[in-house]
Amino acid sequence: MDPNMANNPELLQFLAQEKERAMVNEMVAKMTSVCWDKCITSAPGSKFSSSESSCLTHCAQRYMDMSMILMKRFQSQ
Amino acid sequence: MDSYSSPPVGGGASPSPEVLMEQVKTQLAQAYAEEFIETVRVKCFDKCITKPGSSLGGSESSCISRCFDRYIEATGIISRSLFTQR
Repeated sequence: MDPNMANNPELLQFLAQEKERAMVNEMVAKMTSVCWDKCITSAPGSKFSSSESSCLTHCAQRYMDMSMILMKRFQSQ
Repeated sequence: MDSYSSPPVGGGASPSPEVLMEQVKTQLAQAYAEEFIETVRVKCFDKCITKPGSSLGGSESSCISRCFDRYIEATGIISRSLFTQR
């Protein structure tokens, strides 16, 4: 990259922001994939059942809880 | 990713920061869309084409349309459950 570019604060801020956005998108995509497999057990209908949508909501939150437990466990080793 | 290896426009001259930002945005959006489509392909094939026949049946194609819509909806549900206050 042009050295002038590497010192451009606006550009650096933009890149940091896009990197964070990409990480968030990646996490949502990963969790959607995992939770879809867990919660959507039959062929998709024209609308989610209430149990399917609450399963998806809970699934993402429990996935986060689990990640925390695993991190703590890992750090205490 | 292939799109990242393409040279900057304008030959030897570096693009302006504005142009570069636009390119980064476009390429990220493109990469995201490709990844999304690939995932939906795997998920919906799994759900809708349970026993591949000699041609794609009408119920299979309508299942695929519904599956696509539901996968987008599921992405929204997951995203909201993570980023809204419980």
